[in-house]
Amino acid sequence: MNLSMVLTRWCVLLCLALGGMSAVHAQGNLEIDTPAVSALRQSMQQRHAQLAPLYAAGAIGLAADGSVALRDASAIPLAQRAQANSLLAAENADRAALYREIARANGRPEWEADVRRTFAQRWIDRAQPGWYVQQGGNWVRK
Amino acid sequence: MSSPPELSRRGTVCRGRQLILFLLSAAVLWSLAPAAAVDRLALRLGDLASPMLALQRLSLEYESGAAVLRVDRLRLGQRQWRDLALRCSHATLTFDAVHCGAARLSVAGRVLPLVAELELAGDGRGELGLTFADGGRLGLTFEGGALRARADRLALDKLHAVLAGLDADIDTLFERFRPVATLDGELRWGADGNSPARVSIDVRLFDAGFGSADGLQAGESLELAISGTARALDDGWAWQGEVEWRHGAAYLHPLYLEAGPSVRAQGRLQGGVVVVERSEVALEGVGRLDASARVELDTAAVLELELELTNADLGVLGPRWIAPLIAPASADRMYFGGQLDGLLRLQDGVLAQIDARLEGAGFGFVGAAGGGGFALGPVGGTLAWHAGASTSSRLRIGGGQWERIALGSFELEASLDGRSLSLAPARLPVLDGALVIEHLTLAHTDAGWQGVGGVVIEPVSMPLLTEALEMPRMGGVLAASLPDVRVSPGEITLNGALVVSVFDGYLQATGLRLVEPFGVASHLSADIEGRRLDLSQLTDTFSFGSVTGFVDLSLAGLELLRWRPVAFDARISSSPGRYPRRISQRAVQNISALGGGGAMAAVQRSLLGIFDTFGYRELGLTCRLRAGVCMMDGVEGGARADGGFVIVRGGGVPALDVIGYNRRVNWNELVERLQRVMADNVSPELR
Repeated sequence: MNLSMVLTRWCVLLCLALGGMSAVHAQGNLEIDTPAVSALRQSMQQRHAQLAPLYAAGAIGLAADGSVALRDASAIPLAQRAQANSLLAAENADRAALYREIARANGRPEWEADVRRTFAQRWIDRAQPGWYVQQGGNWVRK
Repeated sequence: MSSPPELSRRGTVCRGRQLILFLLSAAVLWSLAPAAAVDRLALRLGDLASPMLALQRLSLEYESGAAVLRVDRLRLGQRQWRDLALRCSHATLTFDAVHCGAARLSVAGRVLPLVAELELAGDGRGELGLTFADGGRLGLTFEGGALRARADRLALDKLHAVLAGLDADIDTLFERFRPVATLDGELRWGADGNSPARVSIDVRLFDAGFGSADGLQAGESLELAISGTARALDDGWAWQGEVEWRHGAAYLHPLYLEAGPSVRAQGRLQGGVVVVERSEVALEGVGRLDASARVELDTAAVLELELELTNADLGVLGPRWIAPLIAPASADRMYFGGQLDGLLRLQDGVLAQIDARLEGAGFGFVGAAGGGGFALGPVGGTLAWHAGASTSSRLRIGGGQWERIALGSFELEASLDGRSLSLAPARLPVLDGALVIEHLTLAHTDAGWQGVGGVVIEPVSMPLLTEALEMPRMGGVLAASLPDVRVSPGEITLNGALVVSVFDGYLQATGLRLVEPFGVASHLSADIEGRRLDLSQLTDTFSFGSVTGFVDLSLAGLELLRWRPVAFDARISSSPGRYPRRISQRAVQNISALGGGGAMAAVQRSLLGIFDTFGYRELGLTCRLRAGVCMMDGVEGGARADGGFVIVRGGGVPALDVIGYNRRVNWNELVERLQRVMADNVSPELR
């Protein structure tokens, strides 16, 4: 489900709840490309090379809130756990900024939570086989 | 076969050494009987109890060189086990000793994976040896009311295999942390007559490790030396001891720690609570660390903890202890220096107090995308935060650096209350001006920092500022009044105006907004208006040739990502009014050159070769920058039938028009050309 559909559904429900008779068609563009979005995507792409083995080892997984979570740190050599935690915190800072920036670029900063939800599902859908994703509060191996 | 003699002392409570006496009494009776006539013996020895050890319904059966010693219930300290049986394959009973060899110990019907050996002597001495499959050994000696336990390469996991299922707390601990360790050393417990019981321990744990299931608490290749003594009190124990961490590393999320620290401590154990009255921790980078604590033994819950640091080196402590805790995302971009004294207190496992005193401290933060970043130092003063109370902190900052701009010395005074911070007015010298924070109140929410403030920039001279920024030198001053500053997660908006008086006119920036200020996508947006900027000064400053006259500037929707423009709608146009308007041959050439190869400008070549300056009526240029492309246009109404657009409309004598043909220009190429023009080494292509 893309952001547009999510937002449309949400707005329709809200309007109906308020007794309105007309549907509101909000248009959200998740693929919007601003220089800030590009900088964030580039930063995340560069970091991905370091994160990929951690996904594959099951050390980290894609959380339901659109962040990356430390799932099983024991899969990371002890001496590298602090570094992995730092890497994860940086990734999550970029992700939070990305969600805010996409909402801003759409001219609707209040959409941040919707953008985050939609991305969370997208990351989970696109996760590679063997990676862990969070579903219904549990970690599931794809 | 004769029926066995039977002795019984049910309900008797006696001290440890009496066990031996009971057994010996039984042995005496057995020995007094004709040896050939007695090959079976059954003894019911009743109960034994001492503060440390209690046995209920102890009995011994002997038959033909084999024996079984049974205990209905064994209590050792706080732990209890039921239905214990020691089955000896080789038992001998003599006048002064009982020996039980090659024995198997079972608890609640489960035979433990070890071989036991028991020796009870008539002088009140008893020995129990437990040998595990891997050769590890635990020897227990009872003598004169004292207990001595000696471990010899005793593997903790083997010991747990023995104890598994016997104690739920120990099982939970093993399940949670999966500890492994080999143990060498000795524990002595003694109670002598009226003097209080004493315990001493001197052990070495090696090849040790542990790991929680999620890996957030783990240790590897650990070696610890533990020594200490304890003395029984009426209501508990008084103890003192030392732990030395000799080898290995541990990860206690989010901290990675390596061997080296040691702790010497003393305290009490009362009512299930370990009280650390005083301790001294030796830790690299810390002159002295004193700690006191109260920890609940069963749950390991920290009821109270107080750490007092003296002469701590922030250069060591910062990267190891501070950065991973306060800013893990940028831990590798932070640097620290200087000295710290401080006190940290936890109450019921929650942070209750921080008092820090800094001296000659320094903090720095490398920009997310490189660059100069931000640094402050030397910093001295005090920082205080107390849960549930308002505190005041005061810092003296000797100076600082933001990107290429140096900050002078200043003082910060803040009041901290819970998750809120309120800053008293502060004046931060910037070059010959200052950044004045008139007020700032921030609160830390789950989403991040939020707050409001007001800022003024007292005039900063442009020659100094441009020099600091390594820009061409400009005259004038920069000042700002930003009375409504709003901080929200990922954004700082500065409502008000920043004004730069420059080139005899002025530039005014409004709608200033700093987005994601600490991330890789940090960007600044603003709307800038310029009025009546003197072109002769401007073109002279940027070595662009010479143009006399004035221009107005509009730079709407300016967005700077890492200080590089990525979007704007720009318009430069001649200011209204009467004033001399001349343009030099070189300026014409440069404007043409900005159009790039392929002859985007058309000028009258013959005129250009004859005159040095030309008159003009108006000039105008617009650029709409999006996605790295500048969409260009010229003066209003300057569109030509051939697709060109007029940038300079000639007027007077001699006059010429400068016309651009390329409306779509790559921004980076345009900037490069501009730099080349300013470097004065370009020869324009003309048509």
